[in-house]
Amino acid sequence: MDITKRNIKNLYCVHLIVFLFLISSLTVFAQTETVAEEDTTTIFIPQSPISVTAEDYKYDRGESVVINWGLSPDDDGSGKVTGYEIFRSEAEQDDFISVNVVAPGISTFRDKSVENNVEYIYGIAALNGDDASPMTLSEPVLPDTEIVNWNLLNLFFIGLLIAGSVIYFIAHAKRGKKLFIRKIAGLEAIDEAIGRATEMGRPILFIPGINDMDDVQTIAGITILGRVAKVVADYDIKINMPVARSIVMTTARETIKEAYVGAGRPDAYSDNMVRYITDEQFGYVAAVDGIMVREKPATCFYLGAFFAESLILAETGNSVGAIQIAGTAMPAQLPFFVAACDYTLIGEELFAASAYLSNEPKQLGSLKGQDVGKFMAMAAIALGVISVTIARAWGGSFFPWLDEFMHRLFTITN
Amino acid sequence: MDWTTFGVWLAAVFTLGIISFLYRDNIFYKLCEAIFVGISAGYWLITFFWDNLYSKFYSQVTDPVDPQWTPWIGFVLGALMLTRLFEKIGWLSRWPLAFIIGATAGVYMMFYFVSNAMLQVSATILPIYTGSISGAISNLFIIVGTFCGLIYFFFSKEHKGAFGGAAKIGIWFLMATFGASFGYTVMSRMSLMLGRLDFLFGQWLGLIK
Amino acid sequence: MKKQVPLTITFIVGVVLVLSVFFPPVETLGEDFSLFFDIIAVFAFFLGGGNLIRVHTDRISKKKKDWGFSMITIGGFLIMLAAGLFKLWNPGDISADVAATGSLFQLMYDWMFNPLGATMYSLLAFYVASASYRAFRAKNRDATILLVAAFVILLGRTPLGMYATEWIPESFSLLQIPNLAIWIMTSPNLAGQRAIMIGIALGVVSMSLRLILGVERTHLGTDNE
Repeated sequence: MDITKRNIKNLYCVHLIVFLFLISSLTVFAQTETVAEEDTTTIFIPQSPISVTAEDYKYDRGESVVINWGLSPDDDGSGKVTGYEIFRSEAEQDDFISVNVVAPGISTFRDKSVENNVEYIYGIAALNGDDASPMTLSEPVLPDTEIVNWNLLNLFFIGLLIAGSVIYFIAHAKRGKKLFIRKIAGLEAIDEAIGRATEMGRPILFIPGINDMDDVQTIAGITILGRVAKVVADYDIKINMPVARSIVMTTARETIKEAYVGAGRPDAYSDNMVRYITDEQFGYVAAVDGIMVREKPATCFYLGAFFAESLILAETGNSVGAIQIAGTAMPAQLPFFVAACDYTLIGEELFAASAYLSNEPKQLGSLKGQDVGKFMAMAAIALGVISVTIARAWGGSFFPWLDEFMHRLFTITN
Repeated sequence: MDWTTFGVWLAAVFTLGIISFLYRDNIFYKLCEAIFVGISAGYWLITFFWDNLYSKFYSQVTDPVDPQWTPWIGFVLGALMLTRLFEKIGWLSRWPLAFIIGATAGVYMMFYFVSNAMLQVSATILPIYTGSISGAISNLFIIVGTFCGLIYFFFSKEHKGAFGGAAKIGIWFLMATFGASFGYTVMSRMSLMLGRLDFLFGQWLGLIK
Repeated sequence: MKKQVPLTITFIVGVVLVLSVFFPPVETLGEDFSLFFDIIAVFAFFLGGGNLIRVHTDRISKKKKDWGFSMITIGGFLIMLAAGLFKLWNPGDISADVAATGSLFQLMYDWMFNPLGATMYSLLAFYVASASYRAFRAKNRDATILLVAAFVILLGRTPLGMYATEWIPESFSLLQIPNLAIWIMTSPNLAGQRAIMIGIALGVVSMSLRLILGVERTHLGTDNE
């Protein structure tokens, strides 16, 4: 794809129009100071909250206590109560410290700053500005550790179902059953894109995202790198991989080196294929932009976690006439890649890419497991929608119960 | 020396140098790029050194009141990373990598499953009967759109027939999503450049008060 | 040993962290991992920083193209390093905050680092325009939907959108651009986002299981079975 002079001219026109628009948008803002009025209202002490109960929050490491109280009789929406202040003291002592202040109308609070196995007493005072009612005290409470968080039983079962289906189909595929996987355009284009680089004698640029190896998207990008590097080693093309994280540099070098060894060309590998630039997001982008316009890669891969720099990279790649294949699980950046790149792997497709490219039955089996998970999600939504619709339209007892059950099944309480 | 004036001029020069890239690559931009890469790499090394190595490791293990031992695990793993520099024992650097990948996989698996799957499924369970037509249509759009979007992402079935039709509707919803995200961010992107122009014409040239 | 031990480590650590969510006494293992990772990253940075210096000194010594800029890169790196490690010009002593006001580190950050980063970020104003110019040519139905949605949302966030359709009667108020923009954000956009997010979650689960079970091994530089 040659960039014609007309395209470059059009690009400059667009930039000039934007610049003129921005210049005309600069306005002067005036700041005005407001002088606080002196408070001349009379002092009003609201009535204390009615009864305070403090309980250990279940299913944690004994680090939180839930406090409930009855609202002050003066808390009737008229503004006589401006909030409630929560105080805490260790049971044997009498030095109450303020833990938090909540808005009027609220009668519950979870204190997450307690220590395990230390007994506490709580006091709640109703506030009117700086004035406070006498505290209403709770009985002593002892935060305790539970071994198992039974609140997460629903998560465990649903997770087991999904994970179980993935593992089942991985094992199932090992038995040799052929699985159909539909074509994914972006992944089918990889060979063509690398071939283009070979024909043009220009390098490939691989960007594994801006995050470190503690992001699963980066790991996905590196696993795809392994597949791409195998083809690159076979075709004997130059691959250029500037990275923004040192651990990614180390992992990428291992990956590419193994690809070259596997292709029987260990001597062709060089550590200079992967180089560290800087951890700073826009410093990295500045350097990669420079690499793109100077080395003019034929193919650019953007596979991993990206933020605002996604559009800068994609547009610069466009300006040098590269084929661009992008993939990310950042929903906010997908529109820019879709708009600016030739092929985009949308979210889930990024994680499926490595399995897809390997063409190994075990890996493809995991894709089937993913599909089962999607089917389960759709079935749950369908069942939930039917139950809540019938419950709202006709009432009864079964469907409202089913609706409540479905919502509780997919809600995490922690 | 008035560092503020010098600093403003320096910042203005760098601003113009980066903006010049919009026209073409040039020596001015290369200079700014080189400086940016150098000082930003140095900045992050210093930040890592003081915030991570000193605060999270050294201060914790040498605390006179309550010294911690768990940071030593990170220290040992980090030291193993450096074995990469020695060919004979370089294979040991795979151990901390394996640790990182296993931990990332474990942590993210549950995190994404809760926030992206379970909560989204729960939020999509919406009534079609809401008492108002507009509410019903909106909810129907959300439910049908989510369904069709999920159908688009199915890998193990060809997009043919009714399934293909649903996948087609799914991609329309995805395109609407991308267009909405795109349109939503255009103005905020413009305001970024407004900030720089405000600096150039205001703080540097003093043309705007 | 060289291949099996890393796979075993990945398996054990992965399984422990997945299960730790359900057992409160060990539920903070994820935070501990974060701490270990931060420490590992510092050591890895020595490798990265070393690579940065090696690449640029190699360019300088062999007088490759643009070797002069490599000198500037290394110079900037070393000056920033010295400013931060030895807390140069710091109003306090060596124990003061590295980014104290008036320190060389802070000055370089304010007058060099910040403007450079902010300007690179601001280039998006131009790139979003050029991306829009190229993408919104409505060559097919999908691109048309993208264009229309983007256009409505864009106009909906400006006074022009309000003035352009305020003549529409109240009974058809949904067709007024600001209301249409809100509806697009809360209906079709929300549906698409949910489908993407559910897909991502399942993709992450599948990928994580492949990594933990050792089915996916490319990242460790080992061949898959």
